[in-house]
Amino acid sequence: MPNAASNSAGAVWSVLRKECRTEWRTRYGLNAALLFAVASLTAVSFAAGRLGNRTDIMAALFWIVLLFATLASMSHAFVREVEARTMLLLRLVATPTEIAVGKLLFNLLFLLVIEAVTVPLFMVLMGAPPVRWGDFLAVLLLGTVSLAASSTLVGAVIAQTRGRGALFAGVSLPLLLPVLAAAVGGTREMWAANSVAPSLRLLGAYAVALLAASLLLYDHLWED
Amino acid sequence: MSGAVSTAAVRLAAREISHRFGPRVAVRPVSFDVTSPGVVAVTGENGSGKSTLLRILSGLLRPSRGESTFEVGGQAIEPRRRRLFTGLATPELSFYEEFTAAENLAFAAETRGLPNPADAVRDALEQVGLTPRADDRVSAFSSGMKQRLRLAFAILHEPSVLMLDEPGSHLDDAGRAVVEHIVQTHAPRALVLIATNEPREIQLAERRIELSGRGLERSS
Amino acid sequence: MLWRLLIFVWIAGWMVAALLFAPQVPVLHETTRVLYFHIPAAWIAVLALGWGMLHSVLYLVKRDLQHDDHAAAAAELGVLFTVMATVSGSLWAKAMWGSYWNWDPRETSIFFVLILYIAYLALRGSIEGDEKRARLSAIYSAIAFVAVPFLMFVVPRMYETLHPDPIINPRGKVDMDPMIRTCFFAMLIGFTALYFWLQTLRVRVTRIERRRELARGL
Repeated sequence: MPNAASNSAGAVWSVLRKECRTEWRTRYGLNAALLFAVASLTAVSFAAGRLGNRTDIMAALFWIVLLFATLASMSHAFVREVEARTMLLLRLVATPTEIAVGKLLFNLLFLLVIEAVTVPLFMVLMGAPPVRWGDFLAVLLLGTVSLAASSTLVGAVIAQTRGRGALFAGVSLPLLLPVLAAAVGGTREMWAANSVAPSLRLLGAYAVALLAASLLLYDHLWED
Repeated sequence: MSGAVSTAAVRLAAREISHRFGPRVAVRPVSFDVTSPGVVAVTGENGSGKSTLLRILSGLLRPSRGESTFEVGGQAIEPRRRRLFTGLATPELSFYEEFTAAENLAFAAETRGLPNPADAVRDALEQVGLTPRADDRVSAFSSGMKQRLRLAFAILHEPSVLMLDEPGSHLDDAGRAVVEHIVQTHAPRALVLIATNEPREIQLAERRIELSGRGLERSS
Repeated sequence: MLWRLLIFVWIAGWMVAALLFAPQVPVLHETTRVLYFHIPAAWIAVLALGWGMLHSVLYLVKRDLQHDDHAAAAAELGVLFTVMATVSGSLWAKAMWGSYWNWDPRETSIFFVLILYIAYLALRGSIEGDEKRARLSAIYSAIAFVAVPFLMFVVPRMYETLHPDPIINPRGKVDMDPMIRTCFFAMLIGFTALYFWLQTLRVRVTRIERRRELARGL
């Protein structure tokens, strides 16, 4: 047998490339997710109006838009496999962990693309004051990693239930509340010109804890 | 026989394996012990659990009871690594419709980490006669062509154990000839399992595992 | 049988003692008495959460459905005790703070516990097949185990608390009146025994149900 580690990395890379290619060919998930993110952003912006100096509310609204976009789109990666009945093919060519890590990386990329559209739009529509980019991106990135990690594991579980995607939002929420609290806190502090270090530590610790537990649990995801 | 992985002796054994999905019995207890090379037919009426047994043997499904042994070259392979040595073609296997036949197989070959994915894909497509349609998307395939693609997927990595579940389904005469050809070329160096009730396919086998399922009869 | 009787007599006896004879705490007055019911219930809510998660992990390691039965029973009983703790706490909050719900850190924690239980039970309800249900819900339970310290301790501490124990006990010491302390710990013991009795009862019922299912399938 060839080197197992390089083999696994190759399998993860292959799964990630397959995901990207499927998304590119169908554009089914990304278009819907972008549309949803922009729609919820518009609704929030329209309902709240110009918030001016209320950056605390702005921070909350920003993360609620991202949370909604995540809850609306992230179960897709696994539900699609189940609906196309391609899960068997995938399980025959890769280990559960390789599949899940490939999907995790894809979900991460997917969220980053959504954010690339949502963030500038949010800043313009809400009339947000200038941000400290270093701090802001650090909070955004760590928050995104946690969102993707939680969504990948829950998505893989939810795709195997009777209702497929239906329960995804409800079952994800308890896992995403710590992310929401810490990310909103960090964003608020950033705008208030305070240190974001405590929030970053919390986000980082949570992201690491989620990823570590996920890597232990991925192995049990598919057995029938 | 040489010592390469694909030609190493294979032993497949089961001791009182049975499976149930909830209260429903899927496989009644079955025991056997077969070694490569050769062809083994797995027979039994509809609902006796032929497909389920293949899923258990290939390590996809954990049986409710009993133990199975999967040895390659005298080494026991744990269930989660069996897929590396197994080529499984079953009607439940679907492909990515937005990809071409060649892309589907290339994805499988690359993810499995085969040394020459492009060659493996070309050979497999050639063997099942799909070369002219290699670059068509699977969404445009007929059910017979999809069945040929399943066979190509199963032989792609030169498996030590080839498991064919109802290999002749949806196939025309030319397709059935492909199945026979695949079985004949693999029998000398691998263990071939055919789950079927077709007399023509059973004839290909020299041994037989008979499943005594309840089949379609109702429980009292 | 004897155990069951003993638990009932024990809880009833100490409840009477707590309501009639135990003294009041200065700031809390008559509302002191909620503590004999409220804190044990909250303790069981957390105990059941831990018990369920322990058995979920054990299931993934050992693959014995009995562990899943324990996890499921713990979640069902957990909801019951969480609701009891939430309602009694909320009534107390109305009396002391003037409103039923304030998003106080303690209220936030118990709320998290409640939605975790509900999400877990909703997930269980949507999976077919005993092994599959056991495996997938154990995975969820295990990942939730990672979130629990953040949900219960880190996030709520980001807000200020009005909850009495830090106020009564700023140094974190137990300096209760001996009578209050005796009644309180007796109730804690009573509730814990009650919980484990209900837990074994629920697990036994599940086992009988499964045996009947199997008998029907044969």
